[in-house]
Amino acid sequence: MSDHHNSHVNYLAVFIALCVFTGISVLTDVIHIPNKAVLAVIVLAVASAKALCVMAFFMHLKFEGKWKYVLLAPTTILAIGLPLALLPDVGVHYYMIDVPQIEAGESESGHSAESAADADEHGDSHTSEHEAAETEH
Amino acid sequence: MSHAPAASHAPLKMGIPIPNSKLGMWLFLGTEIMFFTAFIGTYIVCRLGSPGWPQDTEVTHISIWAGGFNTFVLLTSSFFVVKAHEAMVDKRFQKANKYVWGTLLLGFVFLGVKGYEYKGKWDHDILPHHIPETEAAAVYKGLGLLNAVVQSELVDLTVHLESDPERLKRDPDQLKPLEREERHAAVQAEIADQPELPERLAELQAYNALFAELSRLKDADQREALSLHDFEHELEAMHANQQYGGLIAHVHAPHPIKYGNLFASIYFLLTGFHALHVIIGLILFAFVLKQGNRLNSAWTDWVENSGLYWHFVDLVWIFLFPLIYII
Repeated sequence: MSDHHNSHVNYLAVFIALCVFTGISVLTDVIHIPNKAVLAVIVLAVASAKALCVMAFFMHLKFEGKWKYVLLAPTTILAIGLPLALLPDVGVHYYMIDVPQIEAGESESGHSAESAADADEHGDSHTSEHEAAETEH
Repeated sequence: MSHAPAASHAPLKMGIPIPNSKLGMWLFLGTEIMFFTAFIGTYIVCRLGSPGWPQDTEVTHISIWAGGFNTFVLLTSSFFVVKAHEAMVDKRFQKANKYVWGTLLLGFVFLGVKGYEYKGKWDHDILPHHIPETEAAAVYKGLGLLNAVVQSELVDLTVHLESDPERLKRDPDQLKPLEREERHAAVQAEIADQPELPERLAELQAYNALFAELSRLKDADQREALSLHDFEHELEAMHANQQYGGLIAHVHAPHPIKYGNLFASIYFLLTGFHALHVIIGLILFAFVLKQGNRLNSAWTDWVENSGLYWHFVDLVWIFLFPLIYII
């Protein structure tokens, strides 16, 4: 079993590496990177590196047999597949939709009620609910 | 031909060369990976699809330092668990016991910081279904806050009409519309009778003036003649009012937060399920600590499997930290 192998691992070194990675993540927030895409790539890359350290050394996956691939491949594929399947529909706006929040944000002040009513004409259920709540009030 | 097994052979071990309990834990972690990536993936997709997602920490009340500290706490606890397992394998059970204690304490520290953060969200009313996302909704919420003050004043002033005074103190919203009208009429009657105590009269009149002001604002809102800007001005003037300003000192005009409710739902869903996993992990470690000096090799697999679970909880946090606190 794996126990004879992983006794050589210097867990303290792994722990220190993880703390340094965490420090880098916090630093990216403190120095304030204006480009969100760049920030996301950096912090998620750091998170992936941390995850790999934890899985390889703390969870001993580096020293386990081939069964780890058989066991983890299906769940990983399904886990990645779900967001990818949702992404085209919800995550990417390739069609126009009526979102009351966006309309309210666009009209500076005082026109929100008008634009909400406008959205209601297009059959937006959220807006109708909100207006119903207002009338009840 | 006989198929009887030869007695000299070692018993045949089918399947994967790890203990069944460890295989079970890994299979469970496989389902857990899907459980959490479903939530994290949904968060990413919803966020990409919601332009104007709340990011300003003044609005979201998310502190990088609280998140960073908790990351450090969980990483340290993971280190302790792996050291505990190492000690168990080396049969140094006292040492293992100490490391498990350390893990348990750090788990509580994590939950404490999380609780502190939740309290902040609660105090600022950053809760699902509580956040106005448009200006009209902000006015609606502001009027609701004023209305709550008026109702609670009415309950206080007419407490002598109540058979069970504690009922409404607990929740002024329990006042039914008919009761409300009756009590409002009672206040009017008492003002007309000129109560002897001048303080009492002042209280009744303050309620009455506040009620009238609220009715005027509600009416303007019904006619869609009350923008958030107007409401802020009205509220400012009301705060300065000598008669009832003190009653509504704590009421502030709410600000619309676009996608605030979706943000709050996702925040509590992700961090809540994670915290639940932390609690379950602490229970697993409590079983080990319950052994005290009786801890022995029979518990090595338990420590290893709970450790795997704990590392997984740490892994989830490793991704939640940048996704919620930084990006």
